[in-house]
Amino acid sequence: MSEIVVDNLSHTFGKDTGDALNVLQDINLTFASGSFNTIVGTSGCGKSTLLKMMAGLFEPSDGRMTLDGEVIRGTDRRRGMVFQQDAVFPWMTLAKNISYGPRLRGASRREQAKIEARWIELVGLKGFENRWPRELSGGMRKRVDIGRVYANDPDVLLMDEPFGALDAQTKERMQAELLDIWTITKKTVVFVTHDLEEAIFLSDKVIVMSARPGRIRHIEEIALPRPRSGEMRLTDDFIQVKRKLWGMLEH
Amino acid sequence: MRSHMKRFAFLISGRVILGAASVLAVLLSYSWVTGQPDNNPALLPPISHIGQAFVVNVTRGTLIDALGASLYRISMGFLIGTSCALVLGCLIGWYKTIEYLLDPLIEAVRPIPPLAYIPIVIIWFGIEEFSRILLISIACFMVCVVNVVAGMKNVPQVYVDAASTMGASRFQIFRTVAIPAATPFIFTGFRIALAAAWTTLVAAELIAAPSGLGFLLQEGRRYFLTDQVMMIIVIIGACAFTMDRLFRGVQARLTRWSEARE
Repeated sequence: MSEIVVDNLSHTFGKDTGDALNVLQDINLTFASGSFNTIVGTSGCGKSTLLKMMAGLFEPSDGRMTLDGEVIRGTDRRRGMVFQQDAVFPWMTLAKNISYGPRLRGASRREQAKIEARWIELVGLKGFENRWPRELSGGMRKRVDIGRVYANDPDVLLMDEPFGALDAQTKERMQAELLDIWTITKKTVVFVTHDLEEAIFLSDKVIVMSARPGRIRHIEEIALPRPRSGEMRLTDDFIQVKRKLWGMLEH
Repeated sequence: MRSHMKRFAFLISGRVILGAASVLAVLLSYSWVTGQPDNNPALLPPISHIGQAFVVNVTRGTLIDALGASLYRISMGFLIGTSCALVLGCLIGWYKTIEYLLDPLIEAVRPIPPLAYIPIVIIWFGIEEFSRILLISIACFMVCVVNVVAGMKNVPQVYVDAASTMGASRFQIFRTVAIPAATPFIFTGFRIALAAAWTTLVAAELIAAPSGLGFLLQEGRRYFLTDQVMMIIVIIGACAFTMDRLFRGVQARLTRWSEARE
């Protein structure tokens, strides 16, 4: 069980000052345990802010969020996050990056090696264990980011446009691989993107947000069967959903 | 891979050749100037005289003694100064409260040249060994601490956020993220501190020291031994150069991960 509930949340930057900026307004959401959810919206709709609050990187000015009924306050390992920017530690080899979380908690060398082997295999980086991050491509570094968070065994995964900086082919491959890993682990995922196709392809539920202040515009349950394959992007069902949601985004 | 290695070897050798060429050019022009019939060797001693001064000072044992005394002061001053800079710099760069507390103080004191402390240090502590080491420590500390603080402040936020969402405590982030991310800056601080140590050492020894390279310089001026003065200058340059190279070697080893190239 790992269900996230966002309860009547609003957020204003610089509250009680002259130039207060209301970024999020009356957000109510439930992310079911084990589901894949995506938040889409044009830039400035506060989707990244919402995700960072779920991670505990900062506190909302009003309302609250809970994970399994427990109020979220501050960061902890139960809510892992993959960032838009490259967050792989350049001073650690690939393997050491993967086992960073377990090492923090004093995992033995043997445990670390086991975790490294499992996740390096799962994110498809076998043979690169002892490479420095600077020797890897952008796509490979993103795999390290994802593998490192999974290896830390969180309950929930928060992903902030993780594939935003990748080329189209790499992006599609990474989406498919992410779904494979999600199928194995069945962890709750909250994914943020501005790419509608990505959102529909990955998710059980797509949340469309509108901007200034960020509000929930619409919630779409995606009924496409799983496992999903690349060709599904071209089916009528897929395109129909895309057309419907596209009309809701502010262009 | 093979051709990469070759290319690398070529670059290295090219680099050494170019570096040696510039040194050789200076030596050649110097010997040309000193070889002119109207040159006064008392002002511009030819290279052979400088070499003689070197031999004389080595056989008398004065050079070794002076070098030993100076290197001891440099090492002590450098160790004390940079250790303090490392500890304080990390604390200032990482903890806001300590920064607000100490930053104005350091910023106010930093522009004062270390040599300005010579009179007060002599008044308080006399012309003892302690005074000279203290001066070098101050010089090393001042230039190094700025770099350590800058290094800590330049730790990318995303690394800190990533570690904290993986459950790292504030101290764990400091230890496993901030320190390694700041190493390139810290090492630059060490190298600048080393240069500052040499500058201050010679100045401190010129004023009051019974031994050391600065003392030999002073002696050379007093007895008009230009060749000895020149020889000491070359020795100081060579020592500083060698130590900097050693440091660069250590730095390159410890920051192999860094993308920065020389």
